[in-house]
Amino acid sequence: MAEIKVENLKYRYPYTEKLALDGITCEIKQGEFIGVIGKNGSGKSTFCQALTGLVPTFYRGAYGGKVFIDEIEVKNVEVDDLCQKVGIVFQNPFNQVTGSKLTVYEEIAFGLENFGIERSQMRKRIDESLALLDIAKYKDRAPFDLSGGQMQRMAIASIIAMEPEIIILDEPTSQLDPQGSEEVFQAVQKLSQKGITVIMVEHKIEKIAAYSDRVMLLDDGKLVDFDIPQKVFSRTDLEEHGVVPPTYTRIGKALNLRVSETDTYPVTLQEAEQLLAHRQE
Amino acid sequence: MKSMSLYEEKHSFLNKLSPITKMIYVVAAILIPAFAGEKMLAVGFMIFSMLLLMHSKVIRRTFPILGVSGFVVLTVLIIQGLFRAGNETVVLDMGPVAFYKEGLLFALGIAINVFNIILCFCVLVLSTKPSDMVEELVRKGFSPRIGYVFTSLFQLIPQMTDRMSTITDAQKSRGMETEGSLMIRMKAFLPLISPVIMSSFIDTKERAIALEVRGFNAKNKKTFLNESTKIPVDNVIIIILVVGIVCSIGWRIMTWLR
Ligand SMILES: Nc1ncnc2c1ncn2[C@@H]1O[C@H](COP(=O)(O)OP(=O)(O)OP(=O)(O)O)[C@@H](O)[C@H]1O
Ligand SMILES: [Mg+2]
Repeated sequence: MAEIKVENLKYRYPYTEKLALDGITCEIKQGEFIGVIGKNGSGKSTFCQALTGLVPTFYRGAYGGKVFIDEIEVKNVEVDDLCQKVGIVFQNPFNQVTGSKLTVYEEIAFGLENFGIERSQMRKRIDESLALLDIAKYKDRAPFDLSGGQMQRMAIASIIAMEPEIIILDEPTSQLDPQGSEEVFQAVQKLSQKGITVIMVEHKIEKIAAYSDRVMLLDDGKLVDFDIPQKVFSRTDLEEHGVVPPTYTRIGKALNLRVSETDTYPVTLQEAEQLLAHRQE
Repeated sequence: MKSMSLYEEKHSFLNKLSPITKMIYVVAAILIPAFAGEKMLAVGFMIFSMLLLMHSKVIRRTFPILGVSGFVVLTVLIIQGLFRAGNETVVLDMGPVAFYKEGLLFALGIAINVFNIILCFCVLVLSTKPSDMVEELVRKGFSPRIGYVFTSLFQLIPQMTDRMSTITDAQKSRGMETEGSLMIRMKAFLPLISPVIMSSFIDTKERAIALEVRGFNAKNKKTFLNESTKIPVDNVIIIILVVGIVCSIGWRIMTWLR
């Protein structure tokens, strides 16, 4: 059970004036799917790195407040003590390939070798993550010979093989074509169904609306809102924070379709359809 | 896949040997003749390396390497043969210039050493995957970080050059001249280097972080996916080679004491 607790987190990169994270407080429970949104420079990536301890262990800079993963305070431990609990996947799949391994299978083994996982256990975990990300058929290919979507799934598999309880994905599909993005989204959904906590930064707002249990809206390093997607996307000031709500929410607004219990607009096609059907009765 | 390695996948005796055995062979082929002070031993190793390479069907890959070094050695031979200080005995009189025995013999000694070293390294390099070689060293206690630098270079450099050509293409499609006179190309090169350097700088930093979160700096003892590939004959060969090295050192010490 990995619970994330963030208390008044403030952070400034070295040699900068502005706070990249400004007083963030929140809690995330095991198994939640959290979507993180906000305009460019709002602090999404910085927040992700603060959860893995890369901020402040790798980046240094001025740091205040506390981040706990379970009872461990992130800033007091080394990155490699934490990364078996909290995995992180980045934007560019190419830059996550180690470059020292000749096959996809060996590439996924990299982290496990470093942590001294015993060989039979290692093989079991690699096979599982290959299957989970649906890339078993490429296991003998050279890592650089994969397509973007396949390479990104390999990067995710490499993290999943370390069996983290939390996985953070920082715009994992932004460099992929629609086909590749879809492959990654489906893979991430499977991880979530397995009970892994997923924290995903993503600009494809429809996807965030469809998958997230809760949505975190950041602006200027501050946590503007952290609630169910319906609530966050129904905010009237959303566009002032640089976020365009999902199409169905905009349609809902235009047609004044509201979910009565929560007094929010729909965020997915399904919801919009239900409300429309309801209205016609 | 693109790779810079000279290694060729073959199923020969040499390929099956452990990289360590072949590395010790390189050391032995260089040290034994040096300690024993006997040129004929170097010639012997040279011939033996050639036989091994022929048996593995990779001898043809040594030709370009031998060709280039052969040219250098030939120059040494001519210069030493003609002008070496201490040249006395004429072997070939060509009117204004003459070749001398002392210089030629000296150059021949150099040639034997050079070709011996090149050939024994070929035995190692042409029959061993670089990654296997490094992994074997890491198993023996070599630093995994330095090992990583070596293995990743073989893949990352071709990838980076690929990138560079992508950027060149992009610049060309925006109307930049990359062909033509030297001056034109120099001008075209300048705007090219900054995106290349910047992007590889960012790539490197991102890759460093990606490695970090996969335990690259973890302090516990590493394990290996692949088992060490030593076969029984490896041990026999290693023992013979080590005994050879020790004997040649012993021989050298004895000659000193005498
Ligand atoms: N390595 C760094 N050094 C200095 N400042 C940085 C660094 N990385 C980010 N920043 C600054 O911190 C702030 C937050 O950046 P961050 O990358 O977290 O934003 P983001 O929400 O991820 O943006 P994007 O959508 O572009 O990825 C920005 O003002 C940015 O300029
Ligand atoms: Mg970002």
